[in-house]
Amino acid sequence: MATGRQRHLSAEDLEAILGVTSRLAAPFDLATMLAEVVNAAKQVLKADRGSVWLYDAPRDELVLEVATGLAAVRIHAGTGIVGACARTRAAINVPDCYADPRFDQGMDRATGYRTRCMLTLPLVDHRDALVGVMQVLNKAGGTFDRDDEDLAAALAAQCAVALQRARLTEALIESERMRQELEMAREVQMSTLPATMPVVPGYDVHGFSRPAEQTGGDTFDLIATPRGLAVVLGDATGHGIAPALSVTQMQAMLRMAFRLGADLPTAFRNVNDQLAATLPEDRFITAFIGLLDAQAHRVEFHSGGQGPILHLSVRGACVSHRPTSFPLGAMPLGKLRPAVTLDLEPGDVLLLLTDGVYEYQNAAGDCYGEARVQRIARSHGTRPMRELASRILADVEAFAGEAPQLDDVTMVLLARAPVVEARRFPRSFDALPDLVAFSDGFFERHGVDRSLLSNVDFAVEELFTNMVKYSAPGGKEVEVALARITGGVEVALTDHDVEPFDLTRAPDADVTLPIEQRRPGGLGIHLTRRLVEGLEYQYAAERREARITFRKTAPAAAAADGAGEA
Amino acid sequence: MLTIEAGEGGTVALRGRLDAAQAGSAQAALDKLQGSVTLDLAALEYISSAGLGVLLKTQKRLMATGGKVRLAGVGAHLRDIFVYSGFDQLFEIEAAK
Repeated sequence: MATGRQRHLSAEDLEAILGVTSRLAAPFDLATMLAEVVNAAKQVLKADRGSVWLYDAPRDELVLEVATGLAAVRIHAGTGIVGACARTRAAINVPDCYADPRFDQGMDRATGYRTRCMLTLPLVDHRDALVGVMQVLNKAGGTFDRDDEDLAAALAAQCAVALQRARLTEALIESERMRQELEMAREVQMSTLPATMPVVPGYDVHGFSRPAEQTGGDTFDLIATPRGLAVVLGDATGHGIAPALSVTQMQAMLRMAFRLGADLPTAFRNVNDQLAATLPEDRFITAFIGLLDAQAHRVEFHSGGQGPILHLSVRGACVSHRPTSFPLGAMPLGKLRPAVTLDLEPGDVLLLLTDGVYEYQNAAGDCYGEARVQRIARSHGTRPMRELASRILADVEAFAGEAPQLDDVTMVLLARAPVVEARRFPRSFDALPDLVAFSDGFFERHGVDRSLLSNVDFAVEELFTNMVKYSAPGGKEVEVALARITGGVEVALTDHDVEPFDLTRAPDADVTLPIEQRRPGGLGIHLTRRLVEGLEYQYAAERREARITFRKTAPAAAAADGAGEA
Repeated sequence: MLTIEAGEGGTVALRGRLDAAQAGSAQAALDKLQGSVTLDLAALEYISSAGLGVLLKTQKRLMATGGKVRLAGVGAHLRDIFVYSGFDQLFEIEAAK
């Protein structure tokens, strides 16, 4: 013992302390361990009563578990004799409690017990962390002496380690329980998502959800109903199993309401009011609920706190719609604003994304934001929606870098098929006037920005004449397809029965050479690359088919004159 | 960190970040408010959905006794969140000066 004094440990003492030490090694839960420690202290120190206060470090409080089912007693870790012991980490031996002003007689008065003497010891584990404070009362036949203090100090060291072990075990069990609950929440949540995407003629609809590690509250749904395709995107607040169950509940109610033929305002109002009645006070679900009428090409929607809702028009504008109401379940609905109606033209795209996308933060703390979503949608909005979803996700990941995904990421993307016209032209320079007339007519018929026409014609002519020049003579015709896309056109030239030759890989012409060294070849493709966007070559070997595609769109700034919030 | 203290003209000022980690202590502080209260959010840098839940619960509690929560000093960032979450339809909102 560090005190240097010799103690004559009786055989009885030694047996008691060894017995206690071996018992404390057992894998007890915290409550049992506390009782064991108190019993050990009473036995070894021949005390009438004992108690152990556990230290709650984050709150700087000492906690006394009184009895199962009763609230624990909490005191600030500086109050009274127990507090003083916690602060100084030194034993306090009070031979006559009623003579010590620090002693609180209130407890005795409340219980009718008479405390004569008291020994209070800090419980400090082997890493020098304060675990709690142990207190024993009323030594049989006298007061606690210096020998008792030494004995108690030895016992306290054993108890501290045992208690700390029990606490850590309990924390581990708790975190494992949390992990299992989160896993279950994720399973519940994922099981509500549609297994397949609905087939709607003239439309491309795709939904995607990737839950985050710690939260679970996003959902989407696509349901065929008597009134059209119901499109749902939702995000419930909270962590763990609760939000997963909330969105499951919402989804079930919506499916039922729509299958029974409810109209949008009725479904929205009833589901909101039902959720308001059942969700806890501080919980809610932000949700977009829309109906697509694929014959009238119209989406009617209500949004309870879910936004922005992006409508990328083929005319070039991207309109950001606000919610029509507060989040579902926040409170019963009073007056409900009329639903918003969106008319979808061929080539229009509707983007519904949860805040897990918009608010995805990189290491610098910047949010991904709406502008980046728009940029990706403008450059890839003509691709299948499944691919657009992947592109947005890839862009979010590139933006985030090493930063972790903190919230669920969920999207529903809906596009009306664009207007496409295709025509075949004989493989001959004589076809050029027809080709120009075809593109001119397409621009005219479908209201494409005519300022783009000359660049499109330049590129088409360049690519077409190259196909005529370099492909085997006597081949079939070349197909030219024009599609109206957001802010412009997409062009595809398909050459059949040819060898692969990737024109787009031709080196740039050196335009810095002096005039005498310049050659006419190569300049066409050089300019094409600069005048249009997304120039790509594909070759299908099995069909011996070469295809070159490109886009030409007005700059987003010029096209955004109609943009803004609706 | 989040601090909640008496602000100018009988308002209650929230400063810092009202996120999931602070929601419990914020709720405890706002649970003490009675009647109609103006929360000054001019120095509130960030609010998460857990923070919105705290405001919602307080609004419901005060409305039940004829009071309400007004939100003042709402800057552009918070305004976007309130608008996009539809909370502008649940609270009277006064923009930052």
